[in-house]
Amino acid sequence: MAGSIAASEDGFADRLGRNKLPEPLSSVSLTDAAISPTELVGLFESQLASRALDLGARKLGVEKRGFYSIGSAGHEGNAALANILRPNDPAFLHYRSGAFLIERARKAGGETPLWNMALSFVASADDPISGGRHKVIGSKSLFVPPQTSTIASHLPKAVGAAFGVALARTHKKADAQASLDSVVVASFGDASANHSTAQGAFNTAAHTAYRGLPLPIIFLCEDNGIGISVKTPAGWIKTAFSNRPGLRYVYSDGRDVVDAVAAARTAQSIARQSRIPVFLHMRTVRLMGHAGSDLEASYRARPEIEREADQDPLLHTARRLIENSILSREEIRNLYGSIKHRVESILNAACDRPKLETAEAVMSTISPASEQAPSENPKTQTKNPADARARSEPPHMSRLISLTLADEMALNPNIIVFGEDVGKKGGVYGATTRLQKQFGPSRAFDTVLDEQSILGMAIGAAHIGYLPIPEIQFLAYVHNAEDQIRGEAATLSFFSGGQYANPMVVRVAGLAYQKGFGGHFHNDNSVAVFRDIPGVILACPSSGGEAVRLLRTCIRVAREQKRVVIFLEPIALYGTKDLHVEGDGLMAAVYEDVDGDAPFGAPGVIGDGADLAIITYGNGVSMAQKASTTLAKDNIAAKIIDIRWLSPLPIDAIIKQAAACNSVLIVDECRRTGSLSEEIIAGFADHQFAPNLARVTGEDSFIPLGPAADTVLVQEADIIRAARALIKDKRKAAE
Amino acid sequence: MTKRAVVIFPGRGTYGRNELGYLATHHRDKQDFLAEIDDWRAQNKRTPISDIDSAESYSAGRHASSLNASSLIYACALSDFADIDLSKFEIVAICGNSLGWYLSLAAGGALAPANAIRLVDTMGALMETDGVGGQMVYPTSDEQWRPDVNRANLVNRALDAGARAGAAHLSINLGGTAVLAGDDAGLDAMEKSLPSADERYPFRLARHAAFHTPLLEHVSKLAFENLPGCLFDRPQVPVIDGRGVIWNPLSSDVDALYQYTLGAQIFQTYDFSKSVEVALKEFAPEILILPGPGSTLGAPIGQCLVAHRWWGIQSKDQFVKRQKDDPVLLAMGRPDQRSIVVD
Repeated sequence: MAGSIAASEDGFADRLGRNKLPEPLSSVSLTDAAISPTELVGLFESQLASRALDLGARKLGVEKRGFYSIGSAGHEGNAALANILRPNDPAFLHYRSGAFLIERARKAGGETPLWNMALSFVASADDPISGGRHKVIGSKSLFVPPQTSTIASHLPKAVGAAFGVALARTHKKADAQASLDSVVVASFGDASANHSTAQGAFNTAAHTAYRGLPLPIIFLCEDNGIGISVKTPAGWIKTAFSNRPGLRYVYSDGRDVVDAVAAARTAQSIARQSRIPVFLHMRTVRLMGHAGSDLEASYRARPEIEREADQDPLLHTARRLIENSILSREEIRNLYGSIKHRVESILNAACDRPKLETAEAVMSTISPASEQAPSENPKTQTKNPADARARSEPPHMSRLISLTLADEMALNPNIIVFGEDVGKKGGVYGATTRLQKQFGPSRAFDTVLDEQSILGMAIGAAHIGYLPIPEIQFLAYVHNAEDQIRGEAATLSFFSGGQYANPMVVRVAGLAYQKGFGGHFHNDNSVAVFRDIPGVILACPSSGGEAVRLLRTCIRVAREQKRVVIFLEPIALYGTKDLHVEGDGLMAAVYEDVDGDAPFGAPGVIGDGADLAIITYGNGVSMAQKASTTLAKDNIAAKIIDIRWLSPLPIDAIIKQAAACNSVLIVDECRRTGSLSEEIIAGFADHQFAPNLARVTGEDSFIPLGPAADTVLVQEADIIRAARALIKDKRKAAE
Repeated sequence: MTKRAVVIFPGRGTYGRNELGYLATHHRDKQDFLAEIDDWRAQNKRTPISDIDSAESYSAGRHASSLNASSLIYACALSDFADIDLSKFEIVAICGNSLGWYLSLAAGGALAPANAIRLVDTMGALMETDGVGGQMVYPTSDEQWRPDVNRANLVNRALDAGARAGAAHLSINLGGTAVLAGDDAGLDAMEKSLPSADERYPFRLARHAAFHTPLLEHVSKLAFENLPGCLFDRPQVPVIDGRGVIWNPLSSDVDALYQYTLGAQIFQTYDFSKSVEVALKEFAPEILILPGPGSTLGAPIGQCLVAHRWWGIQSKDQFVKRQKDDPVLLAMGRPDQRSIVVD
């Protein structure tokens, strides 16, 4: 049947019945491991319960009552680490961690892990962690944030959490979400250890330790020797990780839980006392195939499957208990029988619990907090009064951003700013100027050059209670790291029933038109990557003053509503001071004098012309303003609608503004395909709003170096031309 | 086919006027068990419980005093437990409320009968001589037993008011009721802070000390002095304590069980609701059995069922209907339900 282990329905019970116990694998004794007989039985009970759940879940799958069959069978040795760690050490666990969770719950007491896991197998809305949205290993009370990744993409945030713990200790952070001497654990398999995301996390951890900075983390690599059907070369994990600078390698045999306990003690000691990252290599076996649907026999010979089943960790624990005269074989059989019966009863009861039935219910946890509007931005908050020079030469956008950040950091000690070159240099465009000097290197600091790690650090630090404001140096750099937002940060609330959140404001320098530093990589004009992710907010300022207003609101939304916010800063506007003529200073501002608000979801409006509404954002706003001056000479009075909030798109507010005009022109500086203009026009159709309409957009091209860039980007002249044509058609039609 | 049953033991205050003669009525066949209790009581110069049970009239001073009530309820409840028909019910876990924890240990086999009466009676006597403060109750659920956030907030506010005036603590989380405890000043302040509810609450419990609060830390010390760890064994059936911790037969650390029972259990909040929740979710019983005397714990148990929508029960009315049609809680103190449990 689907739940079979090797040839028998229940390989453990079968072998135990035939007294076919494996030979010892380790010379570590109970005394060596400092584990009492009672504690070993407790651990064994957790292992047995995990196995019973796996078998039960497979059975439910066959009966079409359960929906998830990737199990923990063969990996129950991970309970050893749960036994040694504290129940509130942050744990980012992969999907074979049933025994870990059950053991942690046992240690904590007052928990209901079997019931909770049963609910998750049957996707019940009562599942206290994901609310029926996914089978996840997670728990709010046990500090196990749910993970859905199968490719170790949770490792960067685990590193970030460990970094956050160390930082919180430095800051003596009283409201930290974790104890200041916590050890973070992240588990994964041998196959996913090869993933570039995982490798990035190892590298960042090692790099951090190499610099002499503390990083209390245990990477638990559960090595079952195979990834679905592809074998890991013998010795690969040990060879690849045992001599890595900055990482301390510890080996354990997870088939023998006593050996695993001893190794877990060593790993914990290094990570907690010395605060050095540990790579805990745990040998395991994979029983029952990869998942319920996996026909293991199609790629693995039967004798090999049986040999693996002979090394079942449950058999090894049973052997230990019998050898040490703690339990008899009969007592073990009875214990297993009673746990299986109990788990079956629990699973059956769980099947009767309610499921999610509406899209509304499913989506109710996409955003963690209530939808209430954030508080208003404080009117005067600066700790950096404008000096005489700022009065006579108002600063441009990048400096205004750094002033805003400085104010916010002064107001909120939880804010940390980090990224490439943001520290001493103050950012390649100066948007973090003087922050390190003002707040020290523990609140404004440089990171390793790896966007996955930067975003992972933000997610992890947010778990510990920080409000991270990381910088991604160029929009194009986010693409190789987008899963940290798409798959990790954005999904946390959804898969945890809104119980976990990772609020942050990710500042991204992007969009095109910059003259000094041309070419594709520094002029990316595709933001689709951020726009289809449920729950993520994307904001884009159009001038220096707007950057101040919008960034303040973004920080408030992140802090108060626990949201993930992307703040897309148009690079070309960073240093722009003038709008129409040299010296007019309309794109700059005296920081202290910036007033007004940019409420969440409210577009900005410039002008009140009724002939034409120009809907645009970012660089498009100043281009539209310039174009409007020309159009005014043609008696075309325009109103510019600065979208500000690119996602979720405030379509109602946009239509309300646009409806007062005779014609509508959408100016979208991004590529024609997949750009915001498509969504706006679709939104018009959805709302049966059918204005006299046109759009100008960038071409579906990558951006070349030098003046050729202008050939594929929207220009002021394009706007004027399109507007004139639109109005002409309209007036002609009216005649 | 046996039904998976969780047994839930009652606490103090369940032997009332109507229970007079409970032992005489139901447990004449358990002379050895009762004699062992009375022998212990005689050795310690206390009235035999059989005399108390067979008194002509009920007297709160006599029947509800710490010195007598604990042992009397122990005798009734454990006798009832012995009468459960094991051909019909498989007892998969045991829990209880307050005093019910000691009874759970006894029924679960963690305390042999001689040790159990020693512990129960000694603790009753210690509470009589050294118990301080008192308890009062206030509902945290509405009239349909559904959790009521407003009432829970009132309780929290009362605890704050009590703590400002004196000592005030949450003693027991008892289903849809909060049992509050404190010294006189704390109790007075809590009473003043709480608006009248359901015409009965806030309601002070007579002859109850500030059980499960730090006010009784000295009683814990005395308990350790009077009761050695060797009284304890591993349970034979899983027992669930006042934190929701499960003590399994093969993996229980007997010393840890001793330390908890005479330590934290005495001076920290007893979370009866959590113990019932753990029993329901981690053992998936088909039936709950409440040994006598009395059946007053039935309401808090019903409130726990409502809180977790267990067996589809989402209100008091639904609980009452279910109990009428196909009872899920069998209270042995009620003759109609007792007959289902007893052979």
